[in-house]
Amino acid sequence: MHLPDGIVPVEFALAGYAASGVLTAFALSRVNRQPDPRAAIPRAAMLTTVFFAASLVAIPVPPVSVHLMLSGLMGVMLGWFAMPAIMVGLFLQAVLFGHGGVTTLGLNGLILGLPALLAYGFWCAAGRRWPDTAALVAGSGAVALALAIFTAIVLSGLPVALDAGTETVAIKAFLLAHLPLVLAEGVVVVALLRVLRRVEPGLVPHG
Amino acid sequence: MSRHGNLVGNSLAGVALCVAAGICAPQAAFSHAALMTAESAQAIRLQAQYDTGAPMAHAQVIIYAPDTPSDVWGRGITDRDGRFDFIPDDIAGRWSVQVRQAGHGVMAHVDISAGAPVIMATSPQDTWLQRAVMIALVAWGALGTALFALRKKGRPDASA
Repeated sequence: MHLPDGIVPVEFALAGYAASGVLTAFALSRVNRQPDPRAAIPRAAMLTTVFFAASLVAIPVPPVSVHLMLSGLMGVMLGWFAMPAIMVGLFLQAVLFGHGGVTTLGLNGLILGLPALLAYGFWCAAGRRWPDTAALVAGSGAVALALAIFTAIVLSGLPVALDAGTETVAIKAFLLAHLPLVLAEGVVVVALLRVLRRVEPGLVPHG
Repeated sequence: MSRHGNLVGNSLAGVALCVAAGICAPQAAFSHAALMTAESAQAIRLQAQYDTGAPMAHAQVIIYAPDTPSDVWGRGITDRDGRFDFIPDDIAGRWSVQVRQAGHGVMAHVDISAGAPVIMATSPQDTWLQRAVMIALVAWGALGTALFALRKKGRPDASA
């Protein structure tokens, strides 16, 4: 679920760069305020690799297949660090795998970064009291939100040459195919946090 | 001429026949003869697929001619295998064909000149080995970053 080059108008791509640039700068300034900003770098680096490689994990949803996003996981595990980590991961995916365009890097950063930060916010608010529920909502909600942002961008940037009706039907099918992913990513976050709580409670992120 | 060319030629002939029949039908009573010409033409066949290997079935196709690249020359829909055929006009230059569906899409170019058309599609898909190497390199970079940050945190390295 990455916007490739040549799909959205140029203004959209520029606005995407501006918005995700501001968001990344804001996230980094929040990271800088932490007592030890470097402390989270090892975790962020390793999770960036996981995020980068996850886009190759295709889940077959006949007749199509969808790939993992891990936006919610990045948010819960990294907090504000999720935004720069996602931008780096997306850049590497674009230049190495051709997943997503280079011109649309900013928009893709918004599509995946914004849900990650909101998942982090939700985890901070509810993670201590209801860890499993909060993890499920953060993981699943991030995918649902990313789908919503993606759909909004595509639909508002449809060129005149394209038949809007056909495209709308295609997008509905696309959203339907991603419903299992919404559930799957929630389960991934719940499972990972459960394992961490049991094996190494010190690694569990706290809100 | 290839089999496709013959098929296209036959279908063109069919279209010409229909048009001719349509024009001539009301005048059949006057015993006018129907004429038909047929010629073979070179068609471009494209196939669009996702990087998972799944075809882009029933996706929208938009074609731009080289002389008016901002105007749409033609539209169409791919078949269930992601294939689409079209016969370009006799306009030399780079034709652009975009296939898109649900926010995903790909652009291919066809250079038409006096010789045979040159189709410039997107690069072929990476093999799993190439992907594994890329992932390993990124993981190596991440590991280096992680160890660097840990060292900077105050743990002296062995050379210190």
